[in-house]
Amino acid sequence: MDKLLDDQIIQQIGEAFAQLKEPVQILFFGSRTQCDYCAEVQQLLEEVATTHDKVNVTVYDIQADRELADQYHVDKAPTIVVAAADGSQISNLGIQFSGIPSGHEFATLLNDIMMVSSRDSGLSAEVREFLKHLNQPLLLQVFVTPT
Amino acid sequence: MLAHQMAMENPVMIRAEGVDATEFPDLASQFHVQGVPQTVINSGTGTVVGAVPEQNLLDAIQRALKN
Repeated sequence: MDKLLDDQIIQQIGEAFAQLKEPVQILFFGSRTQCDYCAEVQQLLEEVATTHDKVNVTVYDIQADRELADQYHVDKAPTIVVAAADGSQISNLGIQFSGIPSGHEFATLLNDIMMVSSRDSGLSAEVREFLKHLNQPLLLQVFVTPT
Repeated sequence: MLAHQMAMENPVMIRAEGVDATEFPDLASQFHVQGVPQTVINSGTGTVVGAVPEQNLLDAIQRALKN
């Protein structure tokens, strides 16, 4: 497959990522059985990861790696999980995207990486307070149509 | 993505899934998604259409959790 991201974009991403603080782990869940775009999404993530040594990708299959997929609540492919890495410890932050991260959603992916790297949500104090004290499960599914 | 920012504050309780409605149209129609972005709270207990400020999503979440 040809490169998906041209040199100019790679350079721009590298510049945006110059500020990265802590390591970020991207977990990619694909499917060998039914997934038209899994190979492209995987390659896209791997190309993004080349721009900075604090960004790494590990590749999984939702069937072959069923236990891990269940642990991360991943039930469809392609799914991208953006997690925090501290040494060998990966922390699931509940941040995932299912589908093709194109157009606006590509910017969202890059912003998620930068946010996780900063280890700071950027939310207001009041909202943080409420969320931190939440004692019941909350699932937010945000439907988008990447261009 | 606002929902992702929120998940980060309490990953034990909160999960935020961006979903490409083009790739997963069945899921989108299950929740009657018409305008994007659309945030579905707890599998339909609440819903927010459009990109809204933090406080608006928080209000919708609080309403949904009361049900």
